[in-house]
Amino acid sequence: MRRSLAAVAIALLVAGTAAGGPRAQLEFWTISLEPYFTGYVHQLIDQYQHAHPDVAIRWIDVQPQAVDQKLLASIAGGVSPDVVNLNTEGTLRLAEARALVDMDTAVPGGVRARYFPNIWESLRYGGRTYGIPWYVVPNVLAYNRGLFARAGLDPAHPPATTDAFVHAAEVIKQRTGVYGFMPNVDGVRMLALFQEEGLQVLAPDRRHALFAGPAYVALLRRYVDLYKHDMFPDDTLQRGYLGATERYAGGRLAMLTTGPQFLLRVKTDSPDVYRDTLVAPAPRGRGNVLDLPTMSLVVPLASRHRSEAVRFALYVTDDESQLAFDHQVVIFPSTRRAAADAFFSRGGATPEDRARAIAARELGVARDLTVVVPHSDELFRVFKEAVENAFYGRMTPEQALAWAAREWDARL
Amino acid sequence: MALRRTLVAYFFLLPALALLGVFTFYPVVFGTVLSLFEYDVISPPRYVGLAQFRALWTDRYFWIALDNSLKYLLVVPALQFCSIVLALWVRRPLRGIGWFRAAFYLPVVTSIVVVGLLWRWLLDESGLVNYVLLRAGLIHAPIHWLTNPDIALYAVMFVTLWKGLGYYMVIYLAGLEAIPAGYEEAAALDGAGPLARLWHVTIPLLRPSILLAGTLSAIAALRVFEEVYVMTGGGPVYSTYTMFYYMFDQAFGSLHLGYAAALGVVLAAVTVVLAVANFRLLRQGGLTYY
Repeated sequence: MRRSLAAVAIALLVAGTAAGGPRAQLEFWTISLEPYFTGYVHQLIDQYQHAHPDVAIRWIDVQPQAVDQKLLASIAGGVSPDVVNLNTEGTLRLAEARALVDMDTAVPGGVRARYFPNIWESLRYGGRTYGIPWYVVPNVLAYNRGLFARAGLDPAHPPATTDAFVHAAEVIKQRTGVYGFMPNVDGVRMLALFQEEGLQVLAPDRRHALFAGPAYVALLRRYVDLYKHDMFPDDTLQRGYLGATERYAGGRLAMLTTGPQFLLRVKTDSPDVYRDTLVAPAPRGRGNVLDLPTMSLVVPLASRHRSEAVRFALYVTDDESQLAFDHQVVIFPSTRRAAADAFFSRGGATPEDRARAIAARELGVARDLTVVVPHSDELFRVFKEAVENAFYGRMTPEQALAWAAREWDARL
Repeated sequence: MALRRTLVAYFFLLPALALLGVFTFYPVVFGTVLSLFEYDVISPPRYVGLAQFRALWTDRYFWIALDNSLKYLLVVPALQFCSIVLALWVRRPLRGIGWFRAAFYLPVVTSIVVVGLLWRWLLDESGLVNYVLLRAGLIHAPIHWLTNPDIALYAVMFVTLWKGLGYYMVIYLAGLEAIPAGYEEAAALDGAGPLARLWHVTIPLLRPSILLAGTLSAIAALRVFEEVYVMTGGGPVYSTYTMFYYMFDQAFGSLHLGYAAALGVVLAAVTVVLAVANFRLLRQGGLTYY
């Protein structure tokens, strides 16, 4: 009896080994895709696992505020995820710390050529690229038709330039008491505003900051004056785009320059405001360039299955997978063939459909405006302090930018 | 027999000691050692001696953070005063006082994130606090509680006070219950009024509780993080940027874990100095007072 039991146990063991359970267990981290895109991600993973029985994917969705900390804690704890969704800033910070797989080496040249070169290069640090671009989200202008009408503005003619945008915001605030906009001046987003106005942040040798010049000071002063005259909410400097989206969804903000994917949140949270929402191209500055926030997939060097992870990241970002994702929400693919799909130029009746067609046209003038500098944490901390000092009247805009430029020059 | 009793005692202490060893003593030792190394999680640690402590002296954000953390200590006397008053108040045998005690304790068991979000909305420019003050005619324009760099730190401190009130109230209630009624009765017979009894009898006898609560709340004040993280993110203009927040920023934002550990060591030193001062100041008291 005992002998036969042992034989059964051995047979089961051998059968288990022969069946060859999944070899590589990959952990895949995304940012805020639950609950709206749970079905899409599950389907993506199921298809991959079906085609690659030697790989098992474990999906973990992380909140944007927590992803950096969780990732570091996992790497430090020796349980690094294998494929991680990061924005450009996060990717470059980890690239600077030499924590990521070099994609210029890991991805064959022919495969790299499928991606838009400008988007691929936005993830470049020290001459190498450290992420595979996944999707991009050009900003559009969402605005509240009712508030426009109350302010005596024509909803059929939304502002097309930043000057007109600021003017419209002033008119709306003065005539309705509701804030017109929350400009992107929090943190280091002023650096993107400079570039949108055609003002470069660094000298060509990348060793000197240029933002102490008169044109930069004038731009900062303009927003400081608007702030002093209560033309945008006082939590703009703290809450950023999340605060703006909340305020817009609450009907307490007339215009929102945002990634079109946030329309989904407005649609869910505030159907009334969503019904009153119109969409137009994002107002352009003198630089005729728009920021193009990029989401990428990175593979930490600490991953135990780097090559499998790179293969999975390429699958998630291939034409078919991206197109399927783009049908779920207004985002744009990072690959050329997927972007050429007729789906993106097709209009429609809903704000999302219109946003998609508008954003597709904007891609030509959009690029990721994240400033790539060494010691970015220190430099950005200084810049943020300088800008806030100007807004809170502790320094003049001249003093603030001159001080920040000196600090940058000392570290660059 | 004595040896056996000692061994049994240690046996019962063992689980707690093991937990303390893993989650307190080991991190303390590891953090102190780490402060002598440059470490970014990714590359192996590199020994730099005291270089990171020297760097602190010229780091403007260190001084900003230390200054804010020391200012945060102002919450300690305010919190102790309010808690004692509250404990004296809810100690009275009134009908339904149990409900009041529970209500004051409720913020203690509420998640700090929930509390932070709640107060962020309440203190918003168009939030309930400004609405009530405006309606009552106490102010003429909304106060920028969390976005004015001169006020924000105190607004966050108020939330710490509000949340901690119930916790310290319970400590003081326990302290008050431990005071034998005879002392106050004797003072009353000697002609002492309510205030004189409170000042000359109750407060001195409550000193051990004040020492405990004062030390605990001073440590908590120096370690404040969650309220700041949820309500202000260290801003505006770094006016709520505390030592713990800077440690967090250095460790997880900049990947300078060794530097963050050095900040932790300095903060621990400040905490120890403060605790010792507290003990020196308040060790006299309790029933040994008489």
